Amino acid sequence: MSTQVHANLTEEQVTQISEDLGEPEWLLETRLDALDALDTAAMPDVIRTPGREWTNLDALEYESFVDPLDRAQEKDRIEAEGVDVLGWADALDEHGDLIEDYFGSVVDPQRDYLTALSTALFSAGTVVYVPEGVDAEDVKIRTRMNSQSLFNYTLVVAEESASVTILERQGTGEDIDGKRYYSGVVEAVAGENAHIQYGALQTLDEETYNFSVKRGHAKQYGTVNWIEGNIGSRLTKTSVETRLLGDSSESKIVGAFFGHEDQHFDIASRVWHEAEHTTADLVTRGVLDDSARSVYEGVQDVGREAWDTSSYQRENTLMLSDESEADASPKLIINNHDTEASHSATVGQVDEEDMFYMTSRSIPTETARNMLVEGFFVPVLEEVEVAELREDLQERIAVRLRN
Amino acid sequence: MSSDQDHLKDTDTEKRFEFKKEENSAFQAEKGLDEETIRVISDDKDEPEWMLERRLRALQQFKQMPMPDGWPGAPDLSEVDVDEIVPYIRPDIETRGGAENWDDLPEEIQDTFDKLGIPEAEKNALSGVGAQYESEIVYQNMQEQWEEQGVIFCDMDKAVQEHEDIVKEYFMTKAVPPSDNKFAALHGAIWSGGSFVYVPEDTSVDMPVQAYFRMNSDGMGQFEHTLIVAEENSEVHYIEGCSAPKYSAFNLHSGGVEVFVKENAHVQYSTVQNWSKNTYNLNTKRAIAEEDATMEWVSGSMGSKATMLYPSTILKGPGATDNHITIAMAGEGQNIDTGAKVYHNAPDTKSTIESKSISKDGGRTNYRGLVHIADGAEDASTSVECDALMFDNESTSDTMPYMEIQENQVDVAHEATVGKIGDEDVFYLQSRGLDDDDAKQMIVAGFIEPLTEELPIEYAVEMNRLIELEMEGSLG
Repeated sequence: MSTQVHANLTEEQVTQISEDLGEPEWLLETRLDALDALDTAAMPDVIRTPGREWTNLDALEYESFVDPLDRAQEKDRIEAEGVDVLGWADALDEHGDLIEDYFGSVVDPQRDYLTALSTALFSAGTVVYVPEGVDAEDVKIRTRMNSQSLFNYTLVVAEESASVTILERQGTGEDIDGKRYYSGVVEAVAGENAHIQYGALQTLDEETYNFSVKRGHAKQYGTVNWIEGNIGSRLTKTSVETRLLGDSSESKIVGAFFGHEDQHFDIASRVWHEAEHTTADLVTRGVLDDSARSVYEGVQDVGREAWDTSSYQRENTLMLSDESEADASPKLIINNHDTEASHSATVGQVDEEDMFYMTSRSIPTETARNMLVEGFFVPVLEEVEVAELREDLQERIAVRLRN
Repeated sequence: MSSDQDHLKDTDTEKRFEFKKEENSAFQAEKGLDEETIRVISDDKDEPEWMLERRLRALQQFKQMPMPDGWPGAPDLSEVDVDEIVPYIRPDIETRGGAENWDDLPEEIQDTFDKLGIPEAEKNALSGVGAQYESEIVYQNMQEQWEEQGVIFCDMDKAVQEHEDIVKEYFMTKAVPPSDNKFAALHGAIWSGGSFVYVPEDTSVDMPVQAYFRMNSDGMGQFEHTLIVAEENSEVHYIEGCSAPKYSAFNLHSGGVEVFVKENAHVQYSTVQNWSKNTYNLNTKRAIAEEDATMEWVSGSMGSKATMLYPSTILKGPGATDNHITIAMAGEGQNIDTGAKVYHNAPDTKSTIESKSISKDGGRTNYRGLVHIADGAEDASTSVECDALMFDNESTSDTMPYMEIQENQVDVAHEATVGKIGDEDVFYLQSRGLDDDDAKQMIVAGFIEPLTEELPIEYAVEMNRLIELEMEGSLG
């Protein structure tokens, strides 16, 4: 560790965060354990090839923008009928036992340095609880960060045969001088035959470093689908993961990113097939302009007991500028031969023939390029089953192209 | 990662490799690795001072470098103890430079080769044979017409003596420096034997050049070095086949291959490796391709306990091309980690990688590859295809490609598929009178055809026979 963020952190600070939220003893202990773990925890894994690290997390000076007691933020939560969408303090009052059961059961609170940091310091949280048999469409969570750093925690529990669609937006509110840091951990548990669709749109300002882990467990016949759009931030290190624990469970992970200037997106989609008849589909598309960089890792892990697995992965990157760089590593790990699995990755630029076709029909070059980039995102946008998220993403892509 | 030692079952396949010749060596270095050992080896070979210096420098680098790690799912190398490797053994034959022809070889060496079913090709159709028995070329035969053309094909030790200037320029200076990785450094310190191939400008060698490598000593490694220099507009196809008797002490094979493909030249390097199943096979192979040159790697990895092999090409000149065909087959107790690395460092460079792997009876195969396109390598294009076939649920098959793209005017595509042998295909063949084993063998033979069609017929036959042996009695 080149950075010693936690050298400035004290048990008192963590205790104060916990007390302000009226937390029970077990949770304070979990936080303090995570604080202790900072001494030994490693940074999140990054891909390495001979002589290169694809993302350098040690270079960040976390201590310069981590002030745990500065928690200024705005939260909007929109409930749907029959679903509890609660702030952290209220959720602990109403669903204390449930939270104790699930907190840290999906994302190990100490899985790496940045996750442990988030566990120790999170000051804002949302719990979405969907009781058995309830169908809920439009749960929305919006977070606007007004502080130097913000640590967010979200727990989603969908009971048997429940279904829920959640749209989360992360952005920055008031301008603040200097670099900022946003951290978000999301745990999602889909019970038997439950269906969770979790869409996230990240539009943080470009002085903000963003770390995010979203991970779901899908039980028998359960579904956990993720959509993640990355537009903002200076640097993003994000991982979207599903463990298919129950027979016939499914997961679809859809990703879209558009990087420009000197943005750096390190994006991972990972799925573990651990039961029979499971299906996964990973689809990511990204565009890079200026000197932006993308790092993509996709992992399809088929376990020894995962009979009759279907697993697919596609990743496509479009490079608009010669200064940009795209790195990709789609991985297949297969331990059961009763599997149909494939992955593919492509990198290229806007097709010259397509450009020629359009310009020869008197469409100006710039307009033609923008239309083709917008078209490039269509296959991913079609996978986005949340209309509002789809339209929002489309809008932001269009705005970025025209600036 | 399984590190189970006791992975050999008493099947016909293994019996075939269980024979062992009584060791009869003129010289055997002390076990262990220190400067003194290196000096003894170098002195015994009457090497020039610069080669000794390179060896000693490589030894220093070896001692400083870490074991390869940080690669997800890589083979377990914890049992590789280089201090237990006997670095140099010379078979006791009359002449240092090898025998003039096959019949001059000691009977026991001929016998070893015969038992391994080496194709008749080497005695008849093919022109040059370098057969490495233990660490030295013991059999050499060159056609007169080659000499007239200025083509050089000799063992590496002889090349150091007789073609010093060329060797000094190319040997572990440009393509595989000892600093590349720990085992390249080890290789640089204690290399012995191997082949030297030099093809002058505008010359085509229309016969495949071949060499055979063997290991026949407890706890000894093989560290042969192959150096191929193909001058402008020349053409050569080099074939190397490997197969080793099996012993109880583990063996380490750590070869080095360097290929220089000059402007508009064309080199194909083909190898079928069938090390016995207690061998750690850790090689470094690299080619440098100049303008409009073409490099082709054809690799079949069949044997060994663990293999780590990623033939790589640096596409240095505009318009250079690199093609890889790799086949890996892993059976019980085997971990075959192979792939390819391509560096596109110039415009209009092209590469294709076609990888096939078969895993059965708990074998592990992994495709691990890197495609790097440097900034400025405009209009580079690469296409990578990996297909894996799995026989059973104890086996694993992984695919881990890495793509680093720093240039936007490119065409990059990677795709991979994994699946089991199709029940319908097997049924189709069975319903036409083939039994289950034959049906599966036929499907596998079809699956690896991209490799076998690149090989001369004798090799294709041997390759198919090896696969048959691998599969015998273990299917169903």
